[in-house]
Amino acid sequence: MRYRTTPWLFLTPFLLAFTAFFIAPVGYAVYLSLFIKKRSGFGPAQNVFGGLENYLRAFQDTAFLQSLGNILLFLAIQVPIMLIVATAMALILDSVKSGSAQKFFRTAFYLPYTVPGVIAGLLWGYLYSKNLSPLNQITGLKTDFLSSSILLFSIGNIVTWTWTGYNMITLYAALQNVPGDIYEAARIDGASNWNLTRYIKLPLLRPALTLTAIFSIIGTMQIFSEPFVLRPLGYVPDNITPNTYLYLAVARDGNFGYGAALAIIMALFTLIFSSFFLRNVRGETA
Amino acid sequence: MTTTNLDQPQTVKTAQAPRPPGRPRQGFSPLQWAALSLFCIYSLLPLWWVLTTMTKSNGQLYSTFGLWFTSPSNFAENVQILFTRDNGIFLRWLLNSILYAGVSAVGSMLFAAMGGYAFSKFRFRGSGPMFNIILATIMVPSTALALPIFLLMQKIGLINTYWAVILPSLVNPFGLYLMRLFWDAGFPTDLMEAARIDGASESKIFWQLGLPLVRGGLVTVALFSFVGAWNNFFLPLVVVNRDTLFPLTLGLSVWNQTSVSSGQDPIYTVIVLGALVSILPLIIAFLSLGRYWQGGLTSGATKG
Repeated sequence: MRYRTTPWLFLTPFLLAFTAFFIAPVGYAVYLSLFIKKRSGFGPAQNVFGGLENYLRAFQDTAFLQSLGNILLFLAIQVPIMLIVATAMALILDSVKSGSAQKFFRTAFYLPYTVPGVIAGLLWGYLYSKNLSPLNQITGLKTDFLSSSILLFSIGNIVTWTWTGYNMITLYAALQNVPGDIYEAARIDGASNWNLTRYIKLPLLRPALTLTAIFSIIGTMQIFSEPFVLRPLGYVPDNITPNTYLYLAVARDGNFGYGAALAIIMALFTLIFSSFFLRNVRGETA
Repeated sequence: MTTTNLDQPQTVKTAQAPRPPGRPRQGFSPLQWAALSLFCIYSLLPLWWVLTTMTKSNGQLYSTFGLWFTSPSNFAENVQILFTRDNGIFLRWLLNSILYAGVSAVGSMLFAAMGGYAFSKFRFRGSGPMFNIILATIMVPSTALALPIFLLMQKIGLINTYWAVILPSLVNPFGLYLMRLFWDAGFPTDLMEAARIDGASESKIFWQLGLPLVRGGLVTVALFSFVGAWNNFFLPLVVVNRDTLFPLTLGLSVWNQTSVSSGQDPIYTVIVLGALVSILPLIIAFLSLGRYWQGGLTSGATKG
């Protein structure tokens, strides 16, 4: 009896902030998304109840659908590349006892994560510039990394550069947590290095890999800063990602209802992708 | 491959110690060296470019090779421009970032520690579903939140105040999840009950007995909240438009925009120097706190 109120006292500060800045905004966004902007006669546009009209509009909005397509490309190409490289580097670093070379590489790989996304976008934006790119300076070419045909890959590269090391550290720490006797037992049974990796380390990495994959999916759905800061430097379409499209649409027309609907659609997609991924991983383990 | 010469002292040293199982090899194979070096160059080259570029004038930026220094160095002038341009607003942005990230780190660490404690050590009505709801909100994109937060703040007049950036950053659902794991693992319920029998108050048990045992979790949550707030761009972009309230990220991106659009007097190399200044605190934090967060983050991955 005595402890009935105690947990609530500990929870109150978090719950207050959580309600104010998570629950209330989500609820308000759902409410807003049901209103459409309507212009009648010569008067200013008014917000009127439109039911699910904003959602229907979103799925007919080719600009928005294109931005979703870009994100799907990211999920299909950038995320796997990033996680494969991170896993490979973690396995390599884990294959030897810790030493100074290993420590150096770990730190070097991690450094890009300390660069905020906006700053990474700015720096790579300069590095992508036709006249500044050291790659162009060395090869004598005039590649425009911000041209529309490779823009998406250039943005993918910024994201990969920032996040691979971060994911690697998570995976590496998971490998280090594995009790050593498992390896010892496998070695006594005569397992080769490759078999050790394939049948012991990779399965043990699964929980950590799932976690990094889910965070990568969540992060990918929200890509905003990198393309946003590249906009002044080259031609970056408004709908390069759903978030840039959403932000610019709201900033331009002040159509908060439509913006809220887009945001909710993105939240639902994130939920669907993540749980789809979780289920598949679980299915394999069973 | 490393020469035997270099390997010698290490082998001698480890010959006496028992071989740690699982990781028997002393050094990387040539193929591994190649892979590591390649990825190392990829990771560091842009940062190296920052170091060379911040010493150049904007003219030198275009006329010299990007990956090497030039003389005369323009570093001192760049520093001067960085801290005096627009009435020294860069310093203000730096202080703003420190304020936003510092308050977020301390606040969200405390809230997450207390909330995680409640879920870890108490059974109460609705605790299971509530925990799951909190965990699920990790997946809500920050844009989905920023837009309604802007409108709600507009209603209560918080737009263009420090509160607009600080208040939302006090909530870290993943931090609460992490802290719960740390409480589960680091503070045995027996110990809590023994303290109760000894007559310790609930708050004393939490503050004096419990918290020191989950230090690793506190540092991890504080560090990642700090980084999250330091790197935050979208929220300040939406809720503040007065440049005296900008954090570094927003300020530098605006300088970049005006440098490009005005065409005259661009300050790209100064922006690059500013970028370095904006990264340094995080590098220092991560390097000095490495032993905490490197283990801390995976406790979520292995136990979750």
